[in-house]
Amino acid sequence: MMQAFHIHYRNTQGTLMRILNAASRRGIDMSYVQATPNEHAHVATLLLDVNPRQTGQLCRDWHAIVDVVKVRASAIAADMAKPGEWSTPHPPATVSASGSAARSAMA
Amino acid sequence: MPRGAEIALQCLRAEGVELAFGYPGGAIMPLYDGLRTSGIRHVLTRHEQGAVFAAEGHARATGKVGVAIATSGPGATNLVTGIADAKMDSVPLVCITGQVRSSLIGSDAFQETDVFGMTLSLTKWNRLVRTIDEIPPAIAEAFHWARSGRPGPVVVDIATDALKASMEFAGPVKFHPHPKPADVHGDSTFGETLIALLETAKRPVALVGAGAKLSGAIADLRRLLDHLQIPTFATVHGLGAVPSGTPYYLGMVGMHGTRAANLALDETDLLLVFGARLDDRVTGDPSRFAPHARIVHFEIDPAQLDRVRSCELAVIGDLAETIPSFYSEVRRISLPDWSAWRTIACGEERAEQDPRGLAAPAIRFLDELFRRLPEESVVVADVGQHQMWAAQRYRASSPRGFITSGGLGAMGFALPAAIGVQLGKPDATVLCISGDGGFQLNLQELATVRRLGTPIKIVIIDNKYLGMVRQWQQLFYGRNYAETDMSDNPDFVEIARAYRINGRRLDADAMGEANFAVTSQALDSFLTSPEPELLTFECHPEANVFPMVPAGARLSEMVFED
Repeated sequence: MMQAFHIHYRNTQGTLMRILNAASRRGIDMSYVQATPNEHAHVATLLLDVNPRQTGQLCRDWHAIVDVVKVRASAIAADMAKPGEWSTPHPPATVSASGSAARSAMA
Repeated sequence: MPRGAEIALQCLRAEGVELAFGYPGGAIMPLYDGLRTSGIRHVLTRHEQGAVFAAEGHARATGKVGVAIATSGPGATNLVTGIADAKMDSVPLVCITGQVRSSLIGSDAFQETDVFGMTLSLTKWNRLVRTIDEIPPAIAEAFHWARSGRPGPVVVDIATDALKASMEFAGPVKFHPHPKPADVHGDSTFGETLIALLETAKRPVALVGAGAKLSGAIADLRRLLDHLQIPTFATVHGLGAVPSGTPYYLGMVGMHGTRAANLALDETDLLLVFGARLDDRVTGDPSRFAPHARIVHFEIDPAQLDRVRSCELAVIGDLAETIPSFYSEVRRISLPDWSAWRTIACGEERAEQDPRGLAAPAIRFLDELFRRLPEESVVVADVGQHQMWAAQRYRASSPRGFITSGGLGAMGFALPAAIGVQLGKPDATVLCISGDGGFQLNLQELATVRRLGTPIKIVIIDNKYLGMVRQWQQLFYGRNYAETDMSDNPDFVEIARAYRINGRRLDADAMGEANFAVTSQALDSFLTSPEPELLTFECHPEANVFPMVPAGARLSEMVFED
């Protein structure tokens, strides 16, 4: 089932990557990720399709990360379920990857 | 003004580091330049993997933080297996790696790898240090996390220009962790719940893992178990926590555990787990693991809970605190009479049988070696069949008396780890047991052994196969011995001699009655020599480890012979 998680963390080197890695190492797709400053810490919000066992494991793994402060699960907010602009192909399929601009970008 | 390298070394000394293992290279050269006057003894291994395993061995034997040093790029990538091993087995380890100049980081410079990213998921904590002023706090924090809670590996990756730069330095700093709100709770009133579970249990058992040793709770645990008198068994890393002669102790549990331990675990209705992860080598089929049991899990790391089975009660905290607390509660009540259950679980009918079949000579050989070991010896086993025979047969007299790569199962561990053990326990007999496959993964460390003159006793159980894989191929893949044949092994005795280490050879005939007097003398002289020694034992190629719980089977579904 889809579940939203809010992980509050101190924004030290690698902490956000460790938070994301707890999900990616289990092969869980991350359909929504947002990381923002929040009072004295940061908060990463993830929308994940997980079963109850995974929920427990993820929460404990996140909590074990050195600079994670708090872990909270919540219902899915409306904006998480809404497709964003990034759901279109990127780069847009109509943009050609040829030409001098593309070559210089790849140099 | 001191340079970054000198500051880093001063910080290491301030953390109590007296010994480090490593291998120099370009980006870490400034650190090596300052080593000679640092007060830190450095052991040059012949491969970075040797360095990190040696540091692990030192940490596992002494309880101190192990330190390994390597350069950027390939130096750092060669550390990775050891870092993963330390993570799995909760070994406190600090790895210091050199990194390319800070201005080149991210440019795919010569010998640049993303050490920080690469070790992110294998460490408790890691840090890329780009400037000299970051060095003291990074090292202080690294040691804090390596030691604290569930111990583990950390990496400090330092840009080479930070090591070369200079600054005013007032001295090493202390790290003060931010207080962390505990939002994963154990049950703070666990005593009452646990007493209720005990009072209704008909067939309680205890499982002891590495956590009991790491927390320093062995004396408390033994006091508790002596009071409870319930059948008790250990994971491979829990061996030595309970003396093997204890009447209620059933030995090792799991895939190659004893019949008595596995049956008791299968039949129990209350399982007390002390500092064990309950990984798949212990549980067998998780859905059929301890099917009648309610589980009480004493654990310092909440992340280890409920990985394969949910527990009835989680007691989160340092076992050095939670076990005495439990003991004080349990002393106040009258325990049920579990003598009938104890008689069944610990009875003669379930006792170990003498080794039979093709493995018998090798097991008898190990028994003879173990019988001769002085108290406080340390056996360091590699990974494979010999590891399981050693775990089954060695009666460790001390909690840190049996050391092996358990969680990761990293072949090549034993020889370099034994070097670290011997340096940490210079007066102990250190017996390194390897297979012919594992030995060849790090045999270059014979050069380190020779240079140090450490009197390690190296045994190779040589069956000319990757024996454990071959055993699975025999039992589960229709004897298709795909790429496990090592019949063209080199002559290990000649290899030892090339490194100026004494080598000798025994085979199954040596264990027969006719030759045993000579063999006995050879074993005595092997173990009492003041020099490093190597001894190969020619084992039957198709010798197997039994009992065995096939992967995915229930613990009670043990196989006892081919």
